[in-house]
Amino acid sequence: MADASIEFKGTSFTLSVLHLKTLLLADIRADLTKKVAQAPDFFYLVPIVVNIEKIESSVDYQAIKELIEEFNFTFVGFTGAITKEQRSFIRKLGFSFVNTAKNTSPEKAVATQNIEEEKPVAVVTDSLAHLYSDKVHRGQVRSGQQLYAKGQNLVIIGSVSAGAEVIADGNIHVYGALRGRAIAGAKGHHKAQIYCQNLEAELVSINGNYWLSESMEQHWGSPVYIHLTDSELTSSTLI
Amino acid sequence: MARIIVVTSGKGGVGKTTSSAAIGLGLALKGNKVVIIDFDIGLRNLDLIMGCERRVVYDFVNVINGEATLNQALIKDKRVNSLSILPASQTRDKDALNKENVGKVLEELGEMYDFIVCDSPAGIEAGAMMALYYADEAIVTTNPEVSSVRDSDRILGMLASRSRRAELGLDPIKEHLLLTRYSPKRVEEGEMLSVEDVEDILSIPLLGVIPESQAVLKASNAGEPVILDTDSDAGKAYQDVVDRLLGEKVDFRFLLAEKKGIFSRMFGG
Repeated sequence: MADASIEFKGTSFTLSVLHLKTLLLADIRADLTKKVAQAPDFFYLVPIVVNIEKIESSVDYQAIKELIEEFNFTFVGFTGAITKEQRSFIRKLGFSFVNTAKNTSPEKAVATQNIEEEKPVAVVTDSLAHLYSDKVHRGQVRSGQQLYAKGQNLVIIGSVSAGAEVIADGNIHVYGALRGRAIAGAKGHHKAQIYCQNLEAELVSINGNYWLSESMEQHWGSPVYIHLTDSELTSSTLI
Repeated sequence: MARIIVVTSGKGGVGKTTSSAAIGLGLALKGNKVVIIDFDIGLRNLDLIMGCERRVVYDFVNVINGEATLNQALIKDKRVNSLSILPASQTRDKDALNKENVGKVLEELGEMYDFIVCDSPAGIEAGAMMALYYADEAIVTTNPEVSSVRDSDRILGMLASRSRRAELGLDPIKEHLLLTRYSPKRVEEGEMLSVEDVEDILSIPLLGVIPESQAVLKASNAGEPVILDTDSDAGKAYQDVVDRLLGEKVDFRFLLAEKKGIFSRMFGG
């Protein structure tokens, strides 16, 4: 049920990440001054995430934030592979901790510089589940046919015949009988689910975990949805 | 332009040629101009079922290769003036057929006839694909038996994706289900798939149910399509099919096992 006035969406943004190699604020300030002078307009109000991974001693987070803002950057939050305690400490101060989509390998170090500016990296907000759009197929999926909803959920308005295959990176909904094979979460989406009005499938699979017909005896012929609990497939009736 | 109807199935031996012959003849008896084409190059048998095997001079491949005209190859049926057969080659290869040359022949025939019935070979290879490519309608012949239903489902997928209508994004081929060799007694005993079972799996409109009948073998051997055997169940059922194809609403017969009355049980039958 959508809220009338607002909507949360997961979106990727490109953000600049400032990797700190020292805690010496004076050194950081000096190097930042040089950098910003090269292109002041470019750096004005730019959103910055500060990576503190390389700093071993305890960080004065407040001081770093204020230093960043001295240069008119927009401070977004801290990042880097650090301990849970550090993370909660950061949160208590009222600052964000941001996760990267992947581990960025250290850029080649410039010995004389204490700070390093990395090329912008994509930062994906982790708070919302990855939402897929639906690929809708009207009509029967006949024996020998194969449908693949790449990067989408798959909705079939009709039945899936024995000998047919329906595959989706997201969920699979069959408004009809599922008699063929259904493979959901094909690219590793553990939370993918399979829904159908009549379970008579040859094979169902979620993120590689599969059942053959013999494992479906409990709800065979019923309207069900199938999902993973831990790494075990479970089927539950829809009605 | 003619209505091009392909009689196909996927599975072999389910009654495509029997049905092509019966339906083609039935349509002609109702006053339509009909040609039945045998697409089973190398394994021709439409001419046997129609009883004209001794009159084959030129065949489909001869016409394609320009070795004979259509008029030389077409065999007029002795029973009905408006019915002709285009027999297949027995000695040649089906590689002689391709979309362009088949299309030309069908176009020429389309101007001469009201109905073109294409008797497809079994399978899903080139021969079957060629027979269904230009179809406007398809009669999917199915036995109430698991492998036949599976193969019919496969051929339905092909009709929806590999036909000319599908490739050009035109209105899809009109699909009809013809259930042949149906035995209501065995259905009631739970041995055989019922009409409802097959309809549930295939989900296409039912055109007709032809009961299992000894009349079919007699008809084949005599070269007289079974629709001419007006006493037999099969003959009557094919007549109903023809009427439905021509737009009439006909109730389905021969779906229930006959309950034998006390006299027929006492006096045999």
